[in-house]
Amino acid sequence: MTELKETEALNSYEKSMELYKRALKVIPAGIPGHLGPVQSQFIPTSAYPLYAERAKNSYFWDLDGNKFIDYMCAYGPNVLGYNNDVVDQAAREQYDMGNCMALPGKKQVEFAELLVDTIEMADWAFFMKNGGDATGFARMIAHAATGRDMAIMVEGGYHGVAPWTQPLTHAGVTEGDVGNNLIVPWNDVAAVERLVKQYPGRIASFMATPYDHRVFTDNTLPEEGYWQKIRKICTDNGIVLIIDDVRCGFRLDLGGSAKYFGFKPDLTCYCKALANGYPISAVVGVDSLKDSAAKVFYTGSYWSSAAPMAAGVACINELKRLDGANLMMAMGKKLTEGLVKAASAVDLNLQISGIPSMFYMRLTNDNSLMMQQEFTSECARRGVFFTSHHNHFINCSLTDDDINDTVNVAADAFSIVAKNNPGKLNK
Amino acid sequence: MTDSKVKARCNLFAVLRGIEYLVENDSECAELVKGKNLSIQFNVKNGPSGNLSFKDGKAEMKEGKHRSTILLFFTSPDHFNKMIDGTGNPIPLKGFTKIGFLTGPFMKLADKLNYYLRPEGDLLKDPEYFKMNTEMTAYAAFFALAEIGNYDRMGRMSAHHMPDGVLQVMVEDGLGVQVHVKNGTLSCTKGHHDDPRAILSFKTLDVAHRVLNGQLDTYTGLGNGEMAMRGFIPMLDNMNPLLDLVPLYLS
Repeated sequence: MTELKETEALNSYEKSMELYKRALKVIPAGIPGHLGPVQSQFIPTSAYPLYAERAKNSYFWDLDGNKFIDYMCAYGPNVLGYNNDVVDQAAREQYDMGNCMALPGKKQVEFAELLVDTIEMADWAFFMKNGGDATGFARMIAHAATGRDMAIMVEGGYHGVAPWTQPLTHAGVTEGDVGNNLIVPWNDVAAVERLVKQYPGRIASFMATPYDHRVFTDNTLPEEGYWQKIRKICTDNGIVLIIDDVRCGFRLDLGGSAKYFGFKPDLTCYCKALANGYPISAVVGVDSLKDSAAKVFYTGSYWSSAAPMAAGVACINELKRLDGANLMMAMGKKLTEGLVKAASAVDLNLQISGIPSMFYMRLTNDNSLMMQQEFTSECARRGVFFTSHHNHFINCSLTDDDINDTVNVAADAFSIVAKNNPGKLNK
Repeated sequence: MTDSKVKARCNLFAVLRGIEYLVENDSECAELVKGKNLSIQFNVKNGPSGNLSFKDGKAEMKEGKHRSTILLFFTSPDHFNKMIDGTGNPIPLKGFTKIGFLTGPFMKLADKLNYYLRPEGDLLKDPEYFKMNTEMTAYAAFFALAEIGNYDRMGRMSAHHMPDGVLQVMVEDGLGVQVHVKNGTLSCTKGHHDDPRAILSFKTLDVAHRVLNGQLDTYTGLGNGEMAMRGFIPMLDNMNPLLDLVPLYLS
């Protein structure tokens, strides 16, 4: 067993907290949204840094100078490694030529061509800025194409933060925002069939992520034949099948997560890994929906900016060169196997679920997740950045040494958890 | 938009329940019920029924209809709510010989309830008063939260999504309220649980006081370490919308 690190060697975050206190005075919640310390991903908050100062490859450094091996990858966008030289160079050249201009640059066309060549189901591409922009646009295309008002979504699925994506009980959401949503459990084909019978001619779309990767629960892959059955129901009933590949995109298969699971959706939404951190998202679709996509009025102030398009072209080409999806799968497998072994050594059970390049992990020794929170927070104090409950991300720059260091730190953390919870260890 | 039936439940099982705490923690109130052995049944037409009993120097609020010494009837939830607001009177149907208890000790208990829950002047500067006010407010808020989760239309949606288990709300080394969740139904008890599934904690009673009185928002409190949460967070995530509804019902 690795010797436990001395208390004085653990990270501390005075500068982060100092800045956060300033932020609280002028920014709602200090750090709004999913990066904030109260979004349940940082428990206890005192174990985690609040601000990053710089990043490179698989690491970031916080304001206090602590270095972290990062398994959140900016919640996905860091797919090649932070500050990737090839992508940054492409973006820099475009910035020098012109970025946000009165007309789009030619990179927009090049990027669309590249996506159509790369993503199996894609006949066209349309660009915007966020994953939520993409899911919203896809839903509008479905309504425009079918003239129908209802939409099926999977319980617990995350498609952004627009009002229609959130539960009615969330602040700021009205019944009108969510009144046309129909919710089904994941992997439940019969539930979809029931809704289709119940609302004939009213359902415009079925939207889901390629597999169930919600937080706080083990991630679940599609059952054998699930997607093929959903595809058939949608085809038979004129429903547009939309895949939200914002999170999984390019980490399962460069040809699309639908290709990985063996089916063809009508629309697919991309963001996160599209341009290695440069702001851009996309909806790609089949030819039959091209006219409807053109009809929907959908645009934004920076949506045609050229530098993120250049970054996207470089990013996808690098992912192809590196065989990125398979590389990340292999590294994720190596890491998760090491973590499971380290947990087992001290009689803890670490459950890994999902896809190795985007794995979810949970200590199953208690149902409150308090031991899981203790584990990830002890890792954070020692320079390995796992959040408490989200799925984690692998990037292409991760090295074997990073994985070895991570497993060593995890072994220390697991030892502490085991020592603090003697009554909950594996029998 | 509040529902008068739900408000009546909050008033009966959260606000009036505060008399339990008063009798236990305020010597004057304890003296008022010393040696008494009687109970008051509150029956609200198209609304809740509850029974407040006094025995062995203790007070206890129970839901439903029970044998009682005094029976008070209310023609509607609004009628009951007006009594709590001090603008309406109950209709006594039984226990006329015990009306003296109603107009005497019980009225004094009600006045004390108001005294502690609605601080005036510099009362909060007194540490004892501050403790009583904060703890009573916390109990009222979380007992009301359970009623809202079980009976308010929007509240039920949130409660339905709360996973089963015990959510412990606590001040470190102090006050404890347990919210029990079972199949989307909530119940509340006082004290600390041995094995809660989730915990929401306040560093000090002062922090709890500021949060309960809207002087500290929970995001700031959690961010700066004055509050903390751990455990199965979906319990807390789905309790939050309920907490937002509490002031609407207890204002």
